[in-house]
Amino acid sequence: MNSALTVFRKELLDALRDRRTLVMVLISSVLLGPLTLVLISSLVSGLEKRAEEREVVVQGLEHAPTLHNYLQRQTYIFKPAPADFEEQIRLSKLGDPVLVIEPSFEAELARGEAPVVLVVSSASNQRAQSAANRLQRLLHGFSQEQAQLRLAMRGVSPVALEALRVENRDLANPAMRSLQLVGMLPFFVLMAVIYGALNAALDTTAGERERGSLEPLLGTPASRLSLVLGKWAAVCCVSMLIAVLSCFSFLPGQWLMRSESLAALFRFGPAQAAQFLLLLLPLAAALSAVLMAIAIRCKSFKEAHANGNAVLLVVSLLPLVAMLGQEGESPWHLWVPALAQITLMGRVLKGEHYGAAEVLVPLAVASALCVLALAFVVRRLRQAAVR
Amino acid sequence: MVAGLIEPDSGSVQVDGIDVARNSAAALRRMGVLSDARGLYPRLSARENIVYYGQLQGMSREAADARADELARLLDMAPLLPRRTEGFSQGERMKTALARALVHDPHNIILDEPTNGLDVLATRALREALRRLRDEQGKCIVFSSHIMQEVERLCDHVVLVAQGRTVAQGTVAQLNAMAGLSDFEDSFVKLAFAPVSVPMGQA
Repeated sequence: MNSALTVFRKELLDALRDRRTLVMVLISSVLLGPLTLVLISSLVSGLEKRAEEREVVVQGLEHAPTLHNYLQRQTYIFKPAPADFEEQIRLSKLGDPVLVIEPSFEAELARGEAPVVLVVSSASNQRAQSAANRLQRLLHGFSQEQAQLRLAMRGVSPVALEALRVENRDLANPAMRSLQLVGMLPFFVLMAVIYGALNAALDTTAGERERGSLEPLLGTPASRLSLVLGKWAAVCCVSMLIAVLSCFSFLPGQWLMRSESLAALFRFGPAQAAQFLLLLLPLAAALSAVLMAIAIRCKSFKEAHANGNAVLLVVSLLPLVAMLGQEGESPWHLWVPALAQITLMGRVLKGEHYGAAEVLVPLAVASALCVLALAFVVRRLRQAAVR
Repeated sequence: MVAGLIEPDSGSVQVDGIDVARNSAAALRRMGVLSDARGLYPRLSARENIVYYGQLQGMSREAADARADELARLLDMAPLLPRRTEGFSQGERMKTALARALVHDPHNIILDEPTNGLDVLATRALREALRRLRDEQGKCIVFSSHIMQEVERLCDHVVLVAQGRTVAQGTVAQLNAMAGLSDFEDSFVKLAFAPVSVPMGQA
């Protein structure tokens, strides 16, 4: 076991000295998550602000006193449109759609000729587009009121025009939407674990083989098992180190969040971070072992990288399957590595309870994977050394 | 095969009377092997490379560290010790790998074409180091080479191996006499028949 410790120390030192790779991993998995979070939160807060605002950007409101009156009754306030509003909307500088009213509006309305109003927005301008829908509903309300008034003047009941009444009940609210966004957080942490493990796992196996240092290493009296255990422990350590950094990078990340409702929902303190890490530990161990098992078969680092990436793709797609899946959470999710961790981390975020059985299943799966993969590495080590 | 990485088709390999196949750890402890694969860890310094192997051989860190200094003196590589092995020249790599193989002070040393790719100075330095190991410390050194000049200068006992079979053995003088030639390289070609064969020499 002494030699396992020696191997562990050396591999850890070796991995930590690989600054260039570490910096890349740090940027891609540790910084990216919080940054995305902050960006998304500012987008959400923008949407929320706009949803609360009762504001209409209008051009030529002075031509339509009746509409003006209606909007005032709906407690809307008005902003005159800037002269170059089309350009501004196109460039997403203006986050509101613009209502354009023709000078002939009032006269045509009085004659009952259905005047045309223009709602200018852009499908590529996300903020303006969502507000445009609201504006259209508002105008529709005005149109209906006018129609009802006319019918009433002719002594017809407005109900005669309504064969059907449609009522919408949208259960989604900004809070629900932000929950989907917060759901991305476990995914980022998971990716950090994967990328942390990848390079170290390949370097200690395929890299060692490519450098020609595996053969002399096996020429020492250290047992193969202790070599593999030492390497594996070091890979796990690096992977968990990246996971720790990633988890804790979200703590300062959320201070920067602009959306209050998102921040309120985002229950991620040191306690949650610690739970995340505990849940991730078995996954990091299993992934490290599997990546090593795959890499030991490969002759070069490059080949191993290609193979390792395939594993990473599968592992990173699994949670997406669950996210996009329609059936919600199923019991089999806990039996699939990565998916299980994502599921449990999601529960931590939602403040939901999870029982011992739900932790033990992924733990058992991960342990079995570890044992199988490590046994394979031990067996292949000798073959790999002499090619 | 001697290091126990490949199993022999038949027969057995013994090092100081220890069967490699049965007790490979004990046998390996008595050997310092410098094989064709002499990869170093580029992010570790030469000293760290050597000490790592020392520890894997069961030495304490302090003992391995002291031994690294001793070997650095022997191999004339003291300035290399604190440097990372990334960017080492062939000769510097060779010395580090040799020091690594010798860190546990093995009684038997096996070298596989150690002067391959070395320049004249490095070759000379290595030859000098091997001679010192033999004369001062009484090591048993087995090394393979196809440079007859080297064999002639270093070896006490030469075994010619051609196409996997031993074709002749003895001292350089005996082999010359066997071939009836005065130049050892000519003798080698004559005795081994095939020019691609590799002789083994024992110092």
